[in-house]
Amino acid sequence: MKLHLIDYSIIGLYFLFVLGIGILLKKKIKTASDFLMSARNIPLWITSLAFISANLGAQEVLGMAANGAKYGLYTAHFYWLGAVFAMVFLGLFMMPFYYGSKARSVPEYLKLRFDEKTRTFNAFTFAAMTIFSSGISLYALAMLMQTVLGWDFNVSIWVAAGIVLAYTFLGGLTSAVYNEVLQFFLIVLGIAPLVFIGVQQAGGLHGIIANVESAKLHLWKGMSSPATNPMGTDAFSMIFGLGFVLAFGYWCTDFLVVQRAMISQNLNDARRTPLIAALPKIFMPLIVIVPGIILLALQHQFTGFDLPKNINGQTDYNMTLPLLLSKLYPSGILGVGITALIASFMSGMAGNVTAFNTVFTYDLYQSHIKPHASEKHYLNVGKATTIVGILLSIITAYVARGFNSIMDLLQLVFSFVNAPLFATFLLGMFWKKCTPNGAFWGLLSGTATAALTYSLTTAEGKGGSIANLHTFYSGTSQAFNIAWISFSVCFIITAFISLFTEKKPENELVGLVYSLTPRQQDKNRVWYKNPLWLATIVVVITVFLNILFY
Amino acid sequence: MKKFFDLRFVIGIFFLAVGILLLIYSFTNPSVAHPEVNRWSSVFFIAFAVIMILMSFDKKPEDEL
Repeated sequence: MKLHLIDYSIIGLYFLFVLGIGILLKKKIKTASDFLMSARNIPLWITSLAFISANLGAQEVLGMAANGAKYGLYTAHFYWLGAVFAMVFLGLFMMPFYYGSKARSVPEYLKLRFDEKTRTFNAFTFAAMTIFSSGISLYALAMLMQTVLGWDFNVSIWVAAGIVLAYTFLGGLTSAVYNEVLQFFLIVLGIAPLVFIGVQQAGGLHGIIANVESAKLHLWKGMSSPATNPMGTDAFSMIFGLGFVLAFGYWCTDFLVVQRAMISQNLNDARRTPLIAALPKIFMPLIVIVPGIILLALQHQFTGFDLPKNINGQTDYNMTLPLLLSKLYPSGILGVGITALIASFMSGMAGNVTAFNTVFTYDLYQSHIKPHASEKHYLNVGKATTIVGILLSIITAYVARGFNSIMDLLQLVFSFVNAPLFATFLLGMFWKKCTPNGAFWGLLSGTATAALTYSLTTAEGKGGSIANLHTFYSGTSQAFNIAWISFSVCFIITAFISLFTEKKPENELVGLVYSLTPRQQDKNRVWYKNPLWLATIVVVITVFLNILFY
Repeated sequence: MKKFFDLRFVIGIFFLAVGILLLIYSFTNPSVAHPEVNRWSSVFFIAFAVIMILMSFDKKPEDEL
């Protein structure tokens, strides 16, 4: 791929704006709350776009395009079966507890609802997960710079990490959130022309239908058996593993995204944040999955569209989008497309690093190391943690090199952390008899079960470090199954232990448990301010799309 | 300077700059393959930028950081 002066100018302009936002916001950062929580003063339209943009990192843009080429339209289940319904559940049922409890983070909610040990365990696993996710974004960005700009992989990693560090260090969470919104528009507007040109080149919709195998153009056909669909999964693990456990686990308990809603100006805005975000989310497959399907159609009709191999000799699906950009975009708009990719990786990385520094500062440092220090002290700790988070991300970026689909790797990480955590939240928020000891041991058992299942099974040569009792058709299928198994174990152990251990007094659970919390009255609100109406619109559109692409 | 604390204004300025760059490039380099892609994209970016900038002038107090 050969870039020209115009392309470099657009990339340079973007870096200038990103750093400019950080420098501009530096003046506004005076306390730890400003740096780590944006002082809970961000307007609704910004929190909503930041909510989906925080997830619009490498896993979304590069990973979903890779999965589009690998699994076809089945990949849309991540949106139309998983994300959208989970976002509706978060907005309608869970946000009142997060926002109403005044917790500054998801682990802090666990402390209020249960106890310190459950919070600490979650803080540790979440911190590890954000570093993994951040490292994956960094890896993807370095791969792109290596392929597109011809930079050395190692140099690319350090340069990319340096830029993210600069603007998150200067402007904290607000800088990350503001850049996420700029990045959202850049990603959508920068990749949309590629879809338009690609569909034209592939011979329109008819050309795509004629040149892509039918199994990759449906959502539900062939779901009866793992052998009859491209994702190699069955209906149970798809619906329960992805649609319920993984999606709800990620969107409802992952502090990275929940944090964007928690910095809203009031509870109604916090509830509407995921619901408004769900509307553009429904249509994101057009930008991130369809390019993968377009590549399949082009491969069938033309030469030069073959994907390269990775260092393990496997087809590198992660190169789907960079390959399409290089083949279909002329210089000029190519610079915008490359900048959109860079933006997505930086957005994903910055989102994870800002969530990491909040959780580390409040849930590990303040609660265990230095509880009663000044705001200035915590501000400095937050800034130092940002640097540490970036350095740890660099290490994990090298680990990510061994996987041929970064999306598979991420789903695996989520199945270890988010899947059992969702069981803890479900019981904690909706069952007042759930006890602190039940939650802790359930969470520990669920996470251990995820590790054990991974060690006893294999998929695409990964896992099975103890023994190989079962081989899954794909890494995705393995992650879905680990997710529902770890969720179930956590749920059962938590409920069982709760029957025999001491529960918290009801007066301490007001605002934290559904049955003990007064409901927000929405009946008299105009429709666009009423979460129930917004949720209904989102669900109707999503169900319609599932039927349309059956 | 105060305007730069309104995110809509910042986004508008960014896309206006990118749109103008693309528009100039599409006319000065007609030999590039598919110059019409750059031209149409630039028109779209500029239109989007103008909308964002206009919206930033119709702001509520909470829209500003």
